[in-house]
Amino acid sequence: MVTAVCLFIVLNVFNIGIDVISWDFLTKEPNPSAVNADSGGILTPMIGTFLLTIIGIVIALPLSLASAVYLCYYSKDGALKNMITTAIDILSGVPTIVIALFAVTIFTQPWLSFLSTPIETAGGVQAYGKSFLVAGITMAVMILPFVTKSIEQSLKTVPDEYLEGSLSLGATKWRTISRVALLSARPGIITGAILGMGRIIGDTAIVWLALGGTLRMTGLQPWWQPQNWLSTLQNTGSTLTTYIFYTSPAGEGNSYEVAFGASLVLIVIILLLNAATAVLGGLGKTKR
Amino acid sequence: MTAGSLNGPAVRQFACFPHPALKGEYVLKNNTFLHGDGLPAVCIKILAGISIALIIFIFIFIFYQAWPVLRASGLDLLTTHNFDTQISEAFYSSDQSPVLNFGLLGLILGTLITTTLALVIAVAIGIGASIAICEFAPPVLASALKAIIRLLASIPSVVFGLIGVIAVVPYIQETFVTVDMQMEYLSMFQITGKSLMASAVVLTFMIVPTVISLSVDAISAVPQTYRETGFAFGMTHFRVIWKILLPTARSGIISSVILAAGRGIGEAIAVSMVCGGVGILPDFSHGFVSFLAPVLPLSAAIVNKSEAMSSVAVRSTLFACAAILLVMGAFLSIGARLVERRMRRAVGFEK
Repeated sequence: MVTAVCLFIVLNVFNIGIDVISWDFLTKEPNPSAVNADSGGILTPMIGTFLLTIIGIVIALPLSLASAVYLCYYSKDGALKNMITTAIDILSGVPTIVIALFAVTIFTQPWLSFLSTPIETAGGVQAYGKSFLVAGITMAVMILPFVTKSIEQSLKTVPDEYLEGSLSLGATKWRTISRVALLSARPGIITGAILGMGRIIGDTAIVWLALGGTLRMTGLQPWWQPQNWLSTLQNTGSTLTTYIFYTSPAGEGNSYEVAFGASLVLIVIILLLNAATAVLGGLGKTKR
Repeated sequence: MTAGSLNGPAVRQFACFPHPALKGEYVLKNNTFLHGDGLPAVCIKILAGISIALIIFIFIFIFYQAWPVLRASGLDLLTTHNFDTQISEAFYSSDQSPVLNFGLLGLILGTLITTTLALVIAVAIGIGASIAICEFAPPVLASALKAIIRLLASIPSVVFGLIGVIAVVPYIQETFVTVDMQMEYLSMFQITGKSLMASAVVLTFMIVPTVISLSVDAISAVPQTYRETGFAFGMTHFRVIWKILLPTARSGIISSVILAAGRGIGEAIAVSMVCGGVGILPDFSHGFVSFLAPVLPLSAAIVNKSEAMSSVAVRSTLFACAAILLVMGAFLSIGARLVERRMRRAVGFEK
């Protein structure tokens, strides 16, 4: 049975081996082109991944923190709290494709159109709904229950003596929470945030539906200048995951070595994130 | 006292107090708790309310969008099939008279069969491997394997889809598919390597690391004394595992399987790359060939047809698929919570 596991691991290493072969092709050259086998690098998808992760975690972290603090310290044990916890659990089990579908439909409502740019379709009807902002918000919704649960768990590990000590010194409830509980659970909170970022980086379904599959950044060029930033955010682009999907034979790619290079980069990024989590977890332990 | 110690009224109980007259409950003079804490508390409550309202809104919205199809098709949604013709009819129908009768049985069966196949294989491999890691491997190898498995569990699904398309699909096509097979079924669909078998294999690859890592956690959580007791009675190692460890870790293993099932059901991208995209009803009367037939699970259907979402009928259908997925996911989550609660009670923790 150990051989079964080893076989599987060998398969994965083999995959990375293929990646390494095509690693020579891609060393962060700018803008991918859709033309032929020596199409350029993956700078734009990497920026896209980075952007989405930042937007997602910036939106989700305050909401999760507030929800976790509310659930731990402010809500009474009862039917309402049970219902909320059940809702969070159910949402955490929802497939991401469903969240993506929900997002695409909701963000095409005209009153949310400031988040994306209109596209003229053949029927003359304007369509909105795909942009970095939209995908970022959807990512935030996806990781919200996960990060909330993880922060809640780390808040629960704060020893009661800390809280009681602070209360007995006369601090108000809010000071106790912010100065004692949150600080002492901080490694756990950061770990939860990093795990959430890992999930954002790896998710393809939401990106494919909410961001589209274009290879370059649409919107006013050149996209890296600050005056064009808002336009970039409101337009579509791609991330590493979408790039892999697009250039694989399942998308429209005819040369899939670039997909393997991109997946190697993706695996390395996730490896670094996991390592950061482990390091932070160790730090948290020594602090106590 | 739990974290709820911050919740209730600001009451302090003193077991022993210098002055006998003051024994008993003693309420804090400045009731800062009862006043609340002003702005930060309000902010917290608003933000928390937003997140919770968002979650509830998602549920309502999905069922609201799926309602036209649910109402028009009724229970036929779950029992009839023929998805492909229906969806092309629906796409070309106008908004005024949308075609709303859908039968999603082929899709539902596709999801269930691929996920069940993948689960069966993954559980067999996964539990065996986790036992091997926990019990038989030397410590250095065990921790290395654990780290690798944890990494594998966090690899994004596209990468598995990529491996599927590049490696699994051609392998299946070369090994199992013959030209006679293709000619025989050409009228119905084209047999390439993209098939039920490919989807099941890719799903297995994806959920095995999850099963292994959670089962390893569950088995390691069994106290060492249990094992030693078994050995003290003269049981062989295998009997100790089979009779003592597995039943004790049973809840953890079951919850890992449920989690893996949830991931398998919801997996859209990797499956859509290898499934073949033809929404037929999986029919096993043809024998082995049925494993080579293309299949269209629910989540892959959403991905494949999502470009056609501008039409109301198609959008409703995709939301109906999403609603079914939501219900399945909800059942699995609730099941996992029940298992967790039963495990806690069995081991003796209070809730």
